[in-house]
Amino acid sequence: MTKIIVNGVEVDADPKKPIIAACHGNGVEVPHYCYHPGLEPVGSCRICQVEVQQGTMPARVMVACRTYPAEGMVIQTESQKAHDTRRECLEFLLKNHPLDCPICDKAGECDLQDYTYAEGQAQGRSNEPRRELEKRKSLGDVIVLDEERCILCSRCVRFFEEVPKQAQLTVSNLGSRSVISTFGDKPLKGNYQGNIADLCPVGALTLKNFRFQARVWNLLKMASTCAECSRGCSTTVEVLRNGEVKRFRPRENQAVNRWWMCDTGRFAYAHPNQKNRLSGALIVGQGGAQTASTQAGVDALAAALRSSGKVAIVASPWCTIEEAAELQSLAGALGAALCFFSPEPNNLKDDLLHTGDPCPNRRGLSEAGLAAVKQSELAGACAGAQLVLLVGERIGELVGNALSATPGLAVLDTVAPAQSNCRVAIGVPNCTERTGTWVNIDGHRGRIAAAKTAPHGVAPLTRTLQDLHSGIKAALQRS
Amino acid sequence: MTKPGSYETWLLNRTGLANSHTLDVYRQNGGYKAIEKVLKTPMSPADVIGEMKASELRGRGGAGFPTGMKWSFMPDPAKDPRPRYLAVNADESEPGTCKDRVLMEKDPHGLIEGCLIAAYAMRMQAVYIYVRGEYRLSYQRCQAAIDEARKAGLIGKNILGSDFSCEIHMHKGAGAYICGEETGLMESLEGKRGHPRPKPPFPASFGLWGQPTTVNNVETIFNVPFIINKGGAWHAALGTKGSKGNFLCGISGHVNKPGVYELPFGITAGQIIENFAGGIWKGRKCKAWFPGGSSCALLTGNDLDVVLDHDSLKARGSSLGTAAMIIIDDTTSIARVMEIIARFYDHESCGQCSQCREGTQWLSQIFHRIATGHGQPDDVATIESLARGMAPGKTICALSDAAAIPTLSAIRLFKGELEECVRQHRDPISYKRIEYAGAH
Amino acid sequence: MALPEKLVREFEELAKKYPDRKSALIPALHRCQEELGGWISPETMEDLAAFIGIEPVEVYGVASFYPMFHLKPVGRHMVSVCHNISCELRGASEIMEHVCRVTGAKPYGTSPDGKFTVWPVECQGACANAPMIDLDGVYHEDLTPEKVEKILGGVK
Repeated sequence: MTKIIVNGVEVDADPKKPIIAACHGNGVEVPHYCYHPGLEPVGSCRICQVEVQQGTMPARVMVACRTYPAEGMVIQTESQKAHDTRRECLEFLLKNHPLDCPICDKAGECDLQDYTYAEGQAQGRSNEPRRELEKRKSLGDVIVLDEERCILCSRCVRFFEEVPKQAQLTVSNLGSRSVISTFGDKPLKGNYQGNIADLCPVGALTLKNFRFQARVWNLLKMASTCAECSRGCSTTVEVLRNGEVKRFRPRENQAVNRWWMCDTGRFAYAHPNQKNRLSGALIVGQGGAQTASTQAGVDALAAALRSSGKVAIVASPWCTIEEAAELQSLAGALGAALCFFSPEPNNLKDDLLHTGDPCPNRRGLSEAGLAAVKQSELAGACAGAQLVLLVGERIGELVGNALSATPGLAVLDTVAPAQSNCRVAIGVPNCTERTGTWVNIDGHRGRIAAAKTAPHGVAPLTRTLQDLHSGIKAALQRS
Repeated sequence: MTKPGSYETWLLNRTGLANSHTLDVYRQNGGYKAIEKVLKTPMSPADVIGEMKASELRGRGGAGFPTGMKWSFMPDPAKDPRPRYLAVNADESEPGTCKDRVLMEKDPHGLIEGCLIAAYAMRMQAVYIYVRGEYRLSYQRCQAAIDEARKAGLIGKNILGSDFSCEIHMHKGAGAYICGEETGLMESLEGKRGHPRPKPPFPASFGLWGQPTTVNNVETIFNVPFIINKGGAWHAALGTKGSKGNFLCGISGHVNKPGVYELPFGITAGQIIENFAGGIWKGRKCKAWFPGGSSCALLTGNDLDVVLDHDSLKARGSSLGTAAMIIIDDTTSIARVMEIIARFYDHESCGQCSQCREGTQWLSQIFHRIATGHGQPDDVATIESLARGMAPGKTICALSDAAAIPTLSAIRLFKGELEECVRQHRDPISYKRIEYAGAH
Repeated sequence: MALPEKLVREFEELAKKYPDRKSALIPALHRCQEELGGWISPETMEDLAAFIGIEPVEVYGVASFYPMFHLKPVGRHMVSVCHNISCELRGASEIMEHVCRVTGAKPYGTSPDGKFTVWPVECQGACANAPMIDLDGVYHEDLTPEKVEKILGGVK
């Protein structure tokens, strides 16, 4: 580590990283566009200018992303000269940038807005017409490009070259005619396109399915973990006031996903935003299925479990390790067989993040002692059971009619089950509505968090399972 | 010392001979004696670099960096055994500059021999001559010279029976001025967009394909055989304190005899115009002039007494650049001149750096409006402010500075004239033009 | 691959000059432009990408950077006219006007009969013999309007 002084404070700087990393790592914000810690620094946007003084040389304004620490280097990020240089640079960037803020998705999380507000000038001096380019260029199913907003930081170009390692974008033409382009009108390919919308510092690259959906300051953001495979990328779940998940964004986690996530996870809104939720319980009796409160459902299910003889429990692959622990207690109390549903691998595995295993907690559930059971093995694993308890989000859909021969099912899921042999169903929260822990393919623990409330009447699954357990214990004591 | 024939010359001596570009004529006129001297004496690579340092030769591509010192930046091959290269910068695109073309078309073997000696001194096995794409005759002549030299055992393995092996390859550019910047040249040679690289790292440690490289101008390399033959001390005895030897001066614009002339350092601009270029044309006076291409500060008719060398021009507020004098007479509109200069930099900016990409376009737009009678009252003040925001040293390369410097000089020297254009809503000195929107 | 065999063989030889095959790209683009109609088509870019072993989008980024490469069809003859400072000081504007009149093309445009494309260019290094045009790769310098008529009139 090299010792340098940043704004009067001595800090340790990794000599292999530019000084901007040392600044950011010590809570000192230095504006930047082309720089990104996950990409090779190019030093082209020129906004990250700070004053650097070394040895006997006079202090100079230099770009922080291409300056490397040297022992005793003194850095001033807030000197007048640094501010002036950055202010000049911002004026140049705003010269052609369209005044789209009122209609731009990026407003509120835009680096051009933020840095201009912090140290730009209130009035531009340009009397020239702004350049006219394509404002809604489709780059395929995921991304739309507004060529006029682009500040040519080239992060998007470099992302495809350096991360999925296949070039898809280029800067075409040169100078003031530079434009980000694909080849011909070829759409972007691959499962990592959404990352360039995160990377884009302005609203030039935006997600088609987020376009005009929400103002970012109306989104509640919670740190969570992606549910779509066993990589368990760290994410931020962003929920609009009415309770819909509007965005998943990757959260930096150097051990798991660095700064990225795949589009499969990014656009996995369908399940969290499901409409026809089971809120409360369904109890099947003589007159068909009756709606009831969760508590009534728990009571009915506890009664069914007591009177059922042999019971088997199949956990959803989305169950957390906390839920697995509750299931183990429950299984112990019932003398029931316990396993988790093991989905087949899909064809989404790649060299980057997606593992091809749709089960986010396979390792967690396995390490907790639950056996993995495939759909074809399910009937065999539950052979002889009078009642099979299916627990956890999406379990109904996964099981399908694999257990149609079982005398009775009880389903704890987000929606009412389709299975006709279901006796009791209780609604549960999905992975954006509850907290818990998953363990990823490499053993890293990822927290899921409640970013929105479950439908009224739905309790956390751990509580439902505890109530079930209490209900059974109480009955056993009574009997 | 200031009239033709009154001083020693060497650079253009062979170019007037018939078939000067052929091996036979080259050999008949002292050619390939220097590489022979280097290999047969033998001189060590350190000896050669020593002569170059003693010669005090400064680069002729525009920056004027001491050549011997640049060569000594190459790492010790014992410590850094990676392949290493000489890239000869024959991109010659600075407005007003047409001197390297003369050497390549008319005396290509001189360049080849210089390359061989340079490669020997810096222990390189390969040389790439990057010629601008439009210089087709230069490319053909140099390629033919390489072919002749190879047949004569002067290029390839074990040159003249020594341990020294060297390849020389021609390479073409494709019309981008920015590829004359040494790191832009290397990017282009690697088959990419000509985007200059931030420095550090410098080419001597990270050059072509990431390996140690030296980039030198054609005229610089052309001097090398003469320095080896006659000694560095000979060269250092000629010229002025900070500018040794002779230089090729291209003089163009409003003179009677535009041309490329070999001149001694120490001569003044006025002497060049009167004694070589036939004086200002049409009996007019010099209003303004560029001493070294369009990337330096303008000077006026009152500055013709300045000695055309590095230190004198710097003291006068400009620079030697490529020694391409562009003379502007007193009937010419400065607004029109700057409109063209600003358009040039807008056209040539690679677009990486915010200040340059936007600033060169902005300057071009403002100068265009001023020159076409659509200036606004704050235009001249804005231009000055923008140019100060574009330089010095705020960008990856010096193109931003190259646009800002002549702009600031035009304002310093001709502010009144520019403001008059704005005030009168026209360019008082009308100039024939065709209006057309740029397509590239 | 649609590149003519002879060009592919030429490019293989060309690539041997460099430690990295990509360096052959710009010389190869020149040759393609010379041999395949004076411009670089998207198909040519795809073929060159396959030859080098890079993505077509990278070839496009390179080809679109350099002013000498034309990415749209051009006339049978290319007339490049320098409009930079040394040429302008010696009457390049008049020359441009004459060139346009004689050819029938506008600057950056092609004549209706497809014979000529007129392309304004920056400094071509003919400053001491200004003004100039580059006709199909050959410089014509020290021009006057009369010389322009003669040179262009003589083009078949």
